[in-house]
Amino acid sequence: MDQRTMSRRRLLGACLGSAGAGLLGLTGCGSAEGSASAGTDHLGLWYWKGSLSDKLLATARRGVPGVPGLKVRGSQIPDGDIDSKVRTSLAARAYVPDVTVVNNDNLATFFPDENEFLDLRELGAESVRDQYLEWKWKACFTPTGRMIGFPLDAGPTALYYRRDLFREAGLAYEPEDVAEEIPTWETFIAAGRTLRAKGPEKPYLVSNIGNVFQQVLLQSSRQFVDAGNRFIGDQEHIRRAWDLSVDILRQGLSARITDGTPDFNAAMSGGRIATMTTAVWATNGLKDTAPKTSGSWRLTTMPDGPANYGGSYMTLTRYCRDPEAGFAFLKWLLSPANQLKSYQEMALFPTTPAAYADPAMHEPDPFFGGQRPIDVFGPAAEKAPVVYFSPYEESANTPFFQELTNVETLGKNPERAWRDAVNTAETTLSRVGVS
Amino acid sequence: MATVLDPAGAPAANEKRPAGRTQPTTPGGRRRHVPPLLAISPFYVLFAVFGAFPIVFSVYLSFQDWDGIGDMRYVGLKQYGWLLQDSVFWHSVLNTFEIWFLSTVPMLFLALVLAFLLHSQVRFAGAYRVAYFVPNVTSMVAMTVVFGSVFAQAGLANSALRAIGLDGVGWLSSEWGIKSSVSIMIIWRWVGYNALIFLAGLQAIPTEHFEAARVDGANSRQTLFRVVLPQLRPVVLFAAVTSTINGLQIFTESQVLFQSTDVGTTGGPGQEGMTIVLYLWQKAFKEHQFGYGAAMGWVLFAIIAVFTVINWRLVAGSDDDRRPGIAGLLRRKGARRGR
Repeated sequence: MDQRTMSRRRLLGACLGSAGAGLLGLTGCGSAEGSASAGTDHLGLWYWKGSLSDKLLATARRGVPGVPGLKVRGSQIPDGDIDSKVRTSLAARAYVPDVTVVNNDNLATFFPDENEFLDLRELGAESVRDQYLEWKWKACFTPTGRMIGFPLDAGPTALYYRRDLFREAGLAYEPEDVAEEIPTWETFIAAGRTLRAKGPEKPYLVSNIGNVFQQVLLQSSRQFVDAGNRFIGDQEHIRRAWDLSVDILRQGLSARITDGTPDFNAAMSGGRIATMTTAVWATNGLKDTAPKTSGSWRLTTMPDGPANYGGSYMTLTRYCRDPEAGFAFLKWLLSPANQLKSYQEMALFPTTPAAYADPAMHEPDPFFGGQRPIDVFGPAAEKAPVVYFSPYEESANTPFFQELTNVETLGKNPERAWRDAVNTAETTLSRVGVS
Repeated sequence: MATVLDPAGAPAANEKRPAGRTQPTTPGGRRRHVPPLLAISPFYVLFAVFGAFPIVFSVYLSFQDWDGIGDMRYVGLKQYGWLLQDSVFWHSVLNTFEIWFLSTVPMLFLALVLAFLLHSQVRFAGAYRVAYFVPNVTSMVAMTVVFGSVFAQAGLANSALRAIGLDGVGWLSSEWGIKSSVSIMIIWRWVGYNALIFLAGLQAIPTEHFEAARVDGANSRQTLFRVVLPQLRPVVLFAAVTSTINGLQIFTESQVLFQSTDVGTTGGPGQEGMTIVLYLWQKAFKEHQFGYGAAMGWVLFAIIAVFTVINWRLVAGSDDDRRPGIAGLLRRKGARRGR
């Protein structure tokens, strides 16, 4: 009995001890210098699975080649959590990673807090500028001219289409011919009508109109909010994207299926959808979704020209323990040679055009009937427009995508939906200081 | 105990208290409390850090405009003002109540029936209990993938409907389809949990009551409604209150069911699956409007508080005989019939 009391007391003591240690740890945060890697011999990097080459990270862990004494240790954060984790650590000014990967859509949301990140020009970024795509480089800058991002990968877009379905409907079916026959969205819609009318299986042109809206939008250098924090979502460039999308629906060319759902997967493998308007990174998903359609797909230039959809950046936070070394790491990891390696290993599309010329990128792809994807994506990446994304893009475009879904799925009147989208966006933005 | 027996017990207890207060002044008295307080400190320290502080901070936050990193800007009651004029917010409130009603009422009823069945002599009762509880501990995200294919246009639910000669339903593309899908997921997840709560309550009812009912010739239905339910009053109250609190915080089902590759479409077509907490999450964690999210959290708190009180009154009734509540009514009815 006595012994038992002793052990219970000891247990309580252990509990207390660990709680105390936890508390000490918590108070310890504030006094540390803020970097997650403080007190270690390496720099800390946050990334999500698939955003960086595992092989190159393994090398960096042992020592970054060409930079004596520099080690970088990557921590994998789930891609849905990384943005809020970075924000939380920045707000707490503690356990902030030295280096982090930021998604395309999220870089601009950090513009109001641009001083949380190092200006890479001060570390000599200009010296490597000519190695990178022009539009991608420009997208790394905040409206005040600080360079807070460094180009990771790109997402050049193309028109994915089913050669067999095009052929059966009597349309042009070889990539060069299709590009010539479908130079604009209007001719794209006309081709869709032919597919529905003359194709034996009456395939739909697109899975849903949101995808088209997204692509027309990305072809515009202006989005919903301009650099002066003014709402421009009610203007012609958005209205055109809206009208084209609604037109596709009106003509019955949309399958009205949300991407990624079981219905979408069934429609893709069943050959009920003839095209996809999306970026290079969608290729692997398509291969997984519809393996049976291998060989039937081809790639060609997007109607109205290419754009960029997705792709990421890397940043150095202001808590980075060694900015010079951090930038040396970025220069090494994202050099043309290593971007090529990342492409081969992880299908990350390089932002360094020099890599496009390499034979390794000119492998024919049997999924596209032996076509070389780089022949379409390479020029697309070089021709993508320079686009300004404001920090408030998501707040502004959410109502538009939502209302498009309402039009497509619930049959809402498009004019009413447009007015509701504009009103909701304006109200939401007025709260965050956009007029 | 004394207060129950003696009407004057309350003042008596008050008289004792001053004597208690003098105790710590005796040598070592105050210090005597230190070890037990320290012993329970892991709870209250953690609660202070992860419970109390965030609650207090969110009150403060709801008066600020903050993107999560930069400087806060005091905006007074503006966030609340905006919220009350936000049509999407009111839509999400309506959705939440509709989904809550669609899910909680059938769920509690099913749970009660299940508990009653489990309480009767069945073979493998333990296995059933485990089976019914499993949905509650299954990863919701994984389950949503499964339900995603069940409710797809060409999914299991529609195939079943067509097999019996009915038309398919737009489970994820029509107003009531969306609400039903979300409700079915909630029912599936919580019915076993509540059945176990009810079962525990059932087992606390003395077997004599059942025996007496059987001797009097009551059938199962009569036993359930006239004997069991009135006795279960506190348990039903507990289940109803927790279901209200949980039901008004529906989030995962809607979020994952409509998470698609499309940018920003949350809550499905017409935002019919948009619940209060999903909207809060979208504003605070996707659009980084933390002040707005905090204000929404407190409005949700007020709504839940009001409905818990209503629930309480409805189920438990007050001590006033004129307002007996549902359970009180049932008991009265049972007593009258029994006579």
